[in-house]
Parts: sequence; structure tokens; C-alpha cells
Amino acid sequence: MNIKQSKEIIISAINDALEGKAEITKDMQLIGGESLLDSMKLVEVCLALEDLADEHGFEFDWTSEAAMSKSRSMFRNVAALAEEFANQSEV
Amino acid sequence: MIIVTGASRGLGQAITERLSDIGEDVLGLARNTSGMNIDAIECDVSDYASVKNASKEVKRMKKPVKAFINAAGVASMNMAVTTDESSVQKLIQTNLVGTIYCCQLFAPIMLRQKYGSFINFSTIAVALALKGESVYAASKAGVESFSRTFAREMADFNVRVNCIAPGPIRTDLLRGITDSQIEKITSQQVIPKQFQKSDICDLVELLIDKKAASLSGQVLNVGGV
Repeated sequence: MNIKQSKEIIISAINDALEGKAEITKDMQLIGGESLLDSMKLVEVCLALEDLADEHGFEFDWTSEAAMSKSRSMFRNVAALAEEFANQSEV
Repeated sequence: MIIVTGASRGLGQAITERLSDIGEDVLGLARNTSGMNIDAIECDVSDYASVKNASKEVKRMKKPVKAFINAAGVASMNMAVTTDESSVQKLIQTNLVGTIYCCQLFAPIMLRQKYGSFINFSTIAVALALKGESVYAASKAGVESFSRTFAREMADFNVRVNCIAPGPIRTDLLRGITDSQIEKITSQQVIPKQFQKSDICDLVELLIDKKAASLSGQVLNVGGV
């Protein structure tokens, strides 16, 4: 999966979680004070991404140390999550 | 399916047997699964990678997980000043960190289902501040605190988290503890008697039952404090 496909999947999953109520950009934060996603919505996005990864034949691991660490977290913004999702699809 | 850690002996084994007897589909997690007569996965709860591998294996089974019971644990009855460094590390790593690892890595399965129940194990030594159990009680106090907060984090997903805090139950963990020492502890309970593994199994049955749907974030002190 390339980054472009991955980004489309991520944006779609976030859009579903936010019920289309916000414009989603690549710089949009997914954790921290400026995130539009509360913890429950973030979990919903992760579960949706697990399903989508399954459809694409790989396992999406969102409980890794890299996922949880704020400084280099895959949740720091949409672009980082898309990059990680694409990376995991190649493993 | 119900998952039980520490399923190869002691309380974990007793819980596993009880749940199997009442017709539940039980999966045991244990460091050594040889000789176990139920489905089991080798797992050292104190090792993050080991718990993660077990959680991945369970996810691949694609079975609903009704409950996860953190029964794995170690004990050391010593004053703090006579507890060696490795025992301190082992107590905290297995009892507290192991429980946290299992909860955080198996929670996504229940979050997806939007139901489930975690049962963690503390000890009555926390509430009674029992002399000679300071490090052990500290590790379990951490479990209680973690469980209360984790219960709030899981509540939006209809997942309940509770603790059972037994007094002295006759298992390997009590090796070397005399009857008079046990009586000294149980005399401090509201119901001053020594409870058995079967009493703890009864509480497990209660907590996984739909009738306990209103209970979360609670610590059930066996015998009362």
C-alpha cells in the first residue's frame, strides 16, 4: 500500500468517527489538547483501521511503543498515521 | 471465551477448573502449559512481548472474549527491610506491571465487542496494611488503583473492571505460613474465617455474570474489612 492510498483510508476512518463534522487535513492532530478526537473516538478509528488492514491482508498494531509515545507517536497527526499504516502494510 | 492468566496452578487453576465445570470455554495463559488439560497459550505476564504475542494469537481466533481474569501473581511475605532487590522487582513486575500489560493488550478485543469484564487480583493485605507484606501489598495496591481508573476508561465501551482481594487462601503462595499466622490475619476481617479457593471462584462467577452489570471499579475484599 502506498502513502496516498493509506492517507485516503485514514481520512475516511477519521471522517466516519467524526461523522463528517470536520475537515480533515494531513496536519490534523489525533492526540493531545488540539485533537478533535476524544479518546473514545480515537479507539474507534484504531478499531476501524484494524478492520481495514485485515481487508488488505495485514495486521495493524496500534498498541506498540511507537504508537503510544507522544513525541514520535503515529497519532501525532494524520500524515504520521498514514505513513505508519502504509509501513505496517509492507511488513 | 474466558481467558485466565496463571492458569496452571493455584487460584488461576482453580478458577479455570470452575469455569470449565460450568460450561465456559476457557483459555489458560501460563508460563508452562505442559500438563494443562484446557486450551492454553504459553505466556509470561511480566514480559510485554510475551503478552503481546498471546494477545495477537487470541485476536486471530476471532472468538468473543467474555472475561479476562488476571490471576497470575507472586507473593513474598517479608518486612520491607528484609526483602531483597530482585524480590521487589519480581513482585512489582509480575503483580502490577503484568496486570497492566494484560489489561492494555487484551482490552482492544473487548473495546471492539463493546462488552466484557476484567477481573484483577489484589489482596486484603492492602486494606488491612498487614505487617510483613509491605512490598507485596504495594504491588497489589497498584493493581487496585490501576483497576479503578482503568474501569473508568473502559466504561464507555461497556467493559467492566473489578478486583477481588482475598485474604490468605491455601495455595502455593502461602507455603511456609503457619495456621496461627493465618488466624492472626483472618481475625482482622469482618468475617473472621479463612476462605477457600471455591469462595473466590464463586466471586469470579458472580462478577462475570450479567447480574453484576452494575459493578465496575470495585474492590471486593473477601471476608470484609
